[in-house]
Amino acid sequence: MSLRLKTSIATLVVIGIAGCGGAKVTLHNPTIPKPLIDQLPLSVAARYPAVFDNFVHEEQVIGKEKWSIDLGRANRILFTQLFGSMFTEFRVIDNEVNPQDLEFDALIEPSIDAFEFSVPSQSQTDDFAVWIRYRIKIFDKDGIQIANWPIAAYGKSQSTTFSTDEALQRAAVLAMRDAAALIILQMDKSTGISKLRGTNVQQTSPPSVTPVHEDIALQTAAEEIPDESS
Amino acid sequence: MNRRRILTPQRLLGIAMAGAILSGCVTSRVENIRENTTGIGAGEGIVIMAKSYHLGNETEAKFIACVGNSIGSGSTGLRVVPNTEFVDALFPWFEPRTAPAETKGLPTLMSRPGVAEKIKEKGIRYVVWLDGDTDKVAGGGSMSCAAGPGGGGCFGFAWWQNDSNYEADVWDLAGLEDAGTVSADVSGTSFLPAIVIPIPLIARTQNKACNALADQLKLFIISDEAV
Repeated sequence: MSLRLKTSIATLVVIGIAGCGGAKVTLHNPTIPKPLIDQLPLSVAARYPAVFDNFVHEEQVIGKEKWSIDLGRANRILFTQLFGSMFTEFRVIDNEVNPQDLEFDALIEPSIDAFEFSVPSQSQTDDFAVWIRYRIKIFDKDGIQIANWPIAAYGKSQSTTFSTDEALQRAAVLAMRDAAALIILQMDKSTGISKLRGTNVQQTSPPSVTPVHEDIALQTAAEEIPDESS
Repeated sequence: MNRRRILTPQRLLGIAMAGAILSGCVTSRVENIRENTTGIGAGEGIVIMAKSYHLGNETEAKFIACVGNSIGSGSTGLRVVPNTEFVDALFPWFEPRTAPAETKGLPTLMSRPGVAEKIKEKGIRYVVWLDGDTDKVAGGGSMSCAAGPGGGGCFGFAWWQNDSNYEADVWDLAGLEDAGTVSADVSGTSFLPAIVIPIPLIARTQNKACNALADQLKLFIISDEAV
């Protein structure tokens, strides 16, 4: 067998293996636009889990390719921008800081319950879809949990319009924007966070943000907080 | 000598194939239903949006871009504001989850802080909501191809039918009302005969629907026809 033929066969094998390898997609610190809303007059602190600084999700399509998406610090950026726009006073606190030493009306702890995505070979369509289930826990200034709110966000993007990497990135960004929109619309209604207003800020009526698509946006409500004393 | 080089058989075949590709035959029907009078002033623009995928809409992003480009081009072109710019400027009120599904949601939307001001600042008079998609509805035939040391080729015949059905709902943000609907239904059958070389005869239904819908939308918006 000639050297050229061997090289050609090796090249084809490498291309074949690479073609089955899926892709690794990275989100480069996506941002959300500044929302057109009135701020809630609250002093709020947020504490993020460590995974918000480096979130990677891998998915193996059975018998086919392996996909990986690296959200990096995207969740930290999303929630910091979002809460910074929603409340008159907002700060992020480290996990080492004791919240009891600080003054605020509410402490928010967002987390990710689940992250899933589907690729065109699974859905038999041209679409990449991303589902994210966030959980938002809210504590009052005494550290008592007042809300435990799960939210489900969804984003979809077509691979015919974007490259596969871009389509998955875009679907993830759309899912995060969907979560942001849902939080803006429903957070006060579902968690009652505005009732935690203390003496830190001037008392005014919170804005009413009723969704136009009430049938869709109202599909979420805070879960009852389990009685941990029993 | 140069002329002889231009008319080589390969080039003639290429020209013939290009002509065949472009000559795909389609049938189309474009209709509009007017609910209110329209018209557009100097400095006013439109934005082309896809209906929410939360509501099951599958309109292709490239179709939306095509309609926007077609409406914005030509001597009678309208000012088309890119939908990403519009959606970002009005975040979170035109996200797939939050965008109003009916015009009765417009007064509530316009009363939200900053929304009416932002729409005025952007000069948006009409929002055009696109719905629909292109589907392969039938197909058949068979074709086989083979390749060997001495060359290769295909033999057979394949065909498929595509239907492009799109509807554009025009909302007037000045009157907060539904101005009407424009629809385009385009159907076409593509053929792929092959005797050694496959010769595609493609019916470009989506492209035809885009141009037909864009032309009709332009007329619909600029017309001062009474209801």
